[in-house]
Amino acid sequence: MNWRKLRVFLLTALVLCLIPATRYYQIDVPLLRFLRGSHHVDPLSLHLSGEFVENNLGTEQDADGSVTVRMIAQQYLFVPHCLLVPAGVPVHLRITSADAVHSLTFSGTEYAVKALPGTISVVELSFPRAGEYKTVCREFCGAGHYAMRSELKVVPRDQFPALRPDERGNCAAQ
Amino acid sequence: MPRNKGQRASFGWNFTGIAALVLAACSLVLVASDVAPARIPSLVAWTPETIAAASAGDPFRGMLLAKRCDHCHGAEGFSLIASTPNMAAMSKLAMWKQIEDFRAHKRRSRPMEPIAESLSPRDVADVVSYYAALPVFPDPQDNRVFPGMRPESGRAAIASRLVTFGDGERGIPPCQSCHGPVAYRAGAPSLATQNGDYVLNQLEMFASGVRTNDINMPMRTIASLLSDDERHALAEYYGAGLGLQPASSGGPR
Repeated sequence: MNWRKLRVFLLTALVLCLIPATRYYQIDVPLLRFLRGSHHVDPLSLHLSGEFVENNLGTEQDADGSVTVRMIAQQYLFVPHCLLVPAGVPVHLRITSADAVHSLTFSGTEYAVKALPGTISVVELSFPRAGEYKTVCREFCGAGHYAMRSELKVVPRDQFPALRPDERGNCAAQ
Repeated sequence: MPRNKGQRASFGWNFTGIAALVLAACSLVLVASDVAPARIPSLVAWTPETIAAASAGDPFRGMLLAKRCDHCHGAEGFSLIASTPNMAAMSKLAMWKQIEDFRAHKRRSRPMEPIAESLSPRDVADVVSYYAALPVFPDPQDNRVFPGMRPESGRAAIASRLVTFGDGERGIPPCQSCHGPVAYRAGAPSLATQNGDYVLNQLEMFASGVRTNDINMPMRTIASLLSDDERHALAEYYGAGLGLQPASSGGPR
């Protein structure tokens, strides 16, 4: 047996075992975080930098025809208050919370997305039919929880406005 | 020796790697420059350090400094000018954030921006802790502006409904769940003793997008959802001092 080869093999095996161990014990390794893509944000400074600054919220059109929706849930509002998405395309929803735990549900669908402070929840949704959906918070979040509702407008694909790369679609402003 | 040859070859690879890294960095810079600049509503973030800095003031020193504020904000923190806010018994964090926003020009005001620039961080914390310690009701002999007239019953009903329950259908949360007396959010002013004209003025400025310093835009959203009539009703409600008690217990129906 070649001892040098065995030693190299054992060391490699040890390092490879350490990677899942860091995940299990929730040890923060910056290099690994960088490699697998971080879903962590600071809930207190969402408005200062990163993808949740206020002019980046709403619907973004991707190159392949799908859309990305960024949203903040906070006591007791979803921001933006009215979302606009095209029907029948994949909707990549990225939502985080600025304070408590919220849960975003769309009336008439089975979708429920948790919004947690410090973490970005990433899901892919699809709304095949055009129409208006009520979005409701289904996780008790405080004194005004029951009034935490907003709206989702699904429009046919050809009616969805063509957005410039720096523009975000959202029907609350109109 | 073959070893040297191998080393030379690896040097060549390293060089290619460095070139690739430089190219990647350049493309990253290009991608980053394509992104629209972030619109930042306020430089304040409610970290524990910020909260500690904002609430560790000396009220006595603040009282001496606040002599300069008397002219507009009133000797007891109750303003005699309708468009100027009452400061008495307001939350420290709310006042502190507004002064920081004036300083950073995130909230526009012709008199307040230069005043905020002239204050040191310690001055701000001191003045704020003085105003927060003032009594909730002014001396009625000196002050005839607050509390104002009670709104007529129709309007009072609209306002008390919004303050207590909000409007679930339109997604308007109840005012009292952030502005007191039921619950307070960090940086949200208590509106219990605020003067009505100021409340109306600010609601209209939030709705029209003139004032944009609310973090994660709660007030811009809510104010634009309210109708004109509701904004007036809320202003009269708070101007009459009815926000002191939870509306469901003693407010008008």
